[in-house]
Amino acid sequence: MALLRLENIGKRYLQGDSELWALKDVNLSVNEGEFAALVGPSGSGKTTLLNIIGGLDTPTTGKAYLNDLCISDLSEAELSDFRLMQLGFVFQSYNLVPVLSALENVELVMVLQGMSESERRERAEHYLDLVGLNAEKHRRPSDMSGGQQQRVAVARALVTDPSLILADEPTANLDSENAFALLDIMHRLSHEQKTTFIFSTHDMRVMQRAERIITLRDGQIVSDEQQ
Amino acid sequence: MAQQEANSHNLKLHRLWLCAGSFFIGLGDGMHNSMIRNAIKLGDGHISVQAKGYLEAPANYKFIEDGASLLADLEHLDLPAFLAPRISLQVLASSANNSVGVAFEGIASEQDPRMKDILDKLIEGDEDIFESKRGVIIGEKLSRKLKVKVGGKIVLMAGKQGGDSQAQLARVQGIYKSGIDELDSYFVIGNLELASLFLEGEGADTNLMPLTRVAVFLDDEKKLKEILPIIDKHLSANESFNELTALDWKTMMPQLVQFVMVDDAGNYIFLILILIMVAVGVVNTVLMSVLERTREFGLLRALGINRFHLMILVFFETLMLSLMSVGIGWLISGPIHLWFSHAGLDLSAMMGDNTQMAGTYMDTIVYTELSIRRILQLTIIIFTVTLITGIYPAIKAGRVTPIEALRT
Repeated sequence: MALLRLENIGKRYLQGDSELWALKDVNLSVNEGEFAALVGPSGSGKTTLLNIIGGLDTPTTGKAYLNDLCISDLSEAELSDFRLMQLGFVFQSYNLVPVLSALENVELVMVLQGMSESERRERAEHYLDLVGLNAEKHRRPSDMSGGQQQRVAVARALVTDPSLILADEPTANLDSENAFALLDIMHRLSHEQKTTFIFSTHDMRVMQRAERIITLRDGQIVSDEQQ
Repeated sequence: MAQQEANSHNLKLHRLWLCAGSFFIGLGDGMHNSMIRNAIKLGDGHISVQAKGYLEAPANYKFIEDGASLLADLEHLDLPAFLAPRISLQVLASSANNSVGVAFEGIASEQDPRMKDILDKLIEGDEDIFESKRGVIIGEKLSRKLKVKVGGKIVLMAGKQGGDSQAQLARVQGIYKSGIDELDSYFVIGNLELASLFLEGEGADTNLMPLTRVAVFLDDEKKLKEILPIIDKHLSANESFNELTALDWKTMMPQLVQFVMVDDAGNYIFLILILIMVAVGVVNTVLMSVLERTREFGLLRALGINRFHLMILVFFETLMLSLMSVGIGWLISGPIHLWFSHAGLDLSAMMGDNTQMAGTYMDTIVYTELSIRRILQLTIIIFTVTLITGIYPAIKAGRVTPIEALRT
């Protein structure tokens, strides 16, 4: 059974009198444990689609389901809970809280979930270990390289065992070496943890690491290939 | 970083403003209390026991016939207070050169607080008005008006209820200068025995010690509310004192109460202005800190915190800020108050000799006074205002949408 199901998703923006369809009739199924890349040129609708899947935006048409839960029908408060309990996010510009250490940043979502301090400390240290940053756990984001910060962001996304991790251009701000290292970590953890990853990219070298490539153009899926 | 420094600078400034505000309130309270204490001392005590209707229309014939029994009765109540028997009369003081309408105050002993205060202000002559029946002390301005010096004679003349007049000769024993116009040009202080001669003319029996009032000076002014009803109840219960009433200083000196109220209102307006400045500052600081962290709030929203929790988070931050501001504010202003409440603030350079206000005078050294009630009142006002200012930034934070915030 598909973990994620998108049915006729469309997203329309109004620009003055004219309307612009960022997404149109998008139908997609993603199974558990998949490591899928959303690719396409800038403006093709990758980020909009990730936002709709992540409950950060609502579709104009169609429905999105995660584990048969219709995301599009959820209220704002339910969407907050949904994101907190079911999803992990990795952003292009890391988005770590600057005043918190790496360890505290990883713990943050668990704090919001109300997990006990001992449990979240143990989990955070474990996941920092998995991304190879346990030695840096007390450092703040400003004292870390971009690659390290993004690894902290991956640990933060993984630490709550979410059903799905959405990563929007996670390697865009990284050099090739760091980008590949990060993808290797994501790929490895996807297999080890049986976590589903959907990440967007327009970097050809990065998309080659994906197991499935979904290509978007002008808001529509133009190809969907397993590698 | 620069903004954080600016915010921290703003908060320090707010605490200083709050300190200044509470200091001025404390100073204002100190000034008022100094004026009130002096007015009570120079006036008719914390409580005045007198004939009903005397306050509204004072007249020499409205006297207490049996002052001796009243005094004995009040003494029997064993109140923590000093009882000062007095005769207050409206008379015409005449010298060979001039005549002036004055208040003649007959007092019983040097222990009368009014006398004690006047003695400190004696500039000529001596105070011994109790040795000689006809000796009086007059104010410096009155002595100039009457063109009379120590040793000079004056005639005190009063109208009788029937229309006749009566007069008594007095000799100026001393001249005082209080700095209060009303006292210096209007008050003649003399012996109770001399004053009682005027009441005798109104039909009083001097053997019964006729009085116009008994001034009650409490050892602890805070007990006023407790003692006034005791005296009142006692007077009502006793048939011989049915025509008497006990009035507190507030009833006796409404103009002073009004002055204090108006001045207090001025202080509160000053405090309100400070609070407005502090509120604007806090809103600005918290709002800036919210705007600065729009991206962080967007991130938190994306990660799953809901609007309400985010609002609570920001509001809690303001709460902490308020508690800290109020706490630090009192930590700074507390020792300042403590210092000035003991050492006092010398205002003589600013005020010179002119310390009279609203019919009383203020000590040139003012001691700041802050009661527990006032501290609580100020703390609650400041805390509440600061807290209210946190509402708008909290709402603003709650409106952050993750997509837009993460784009910033």
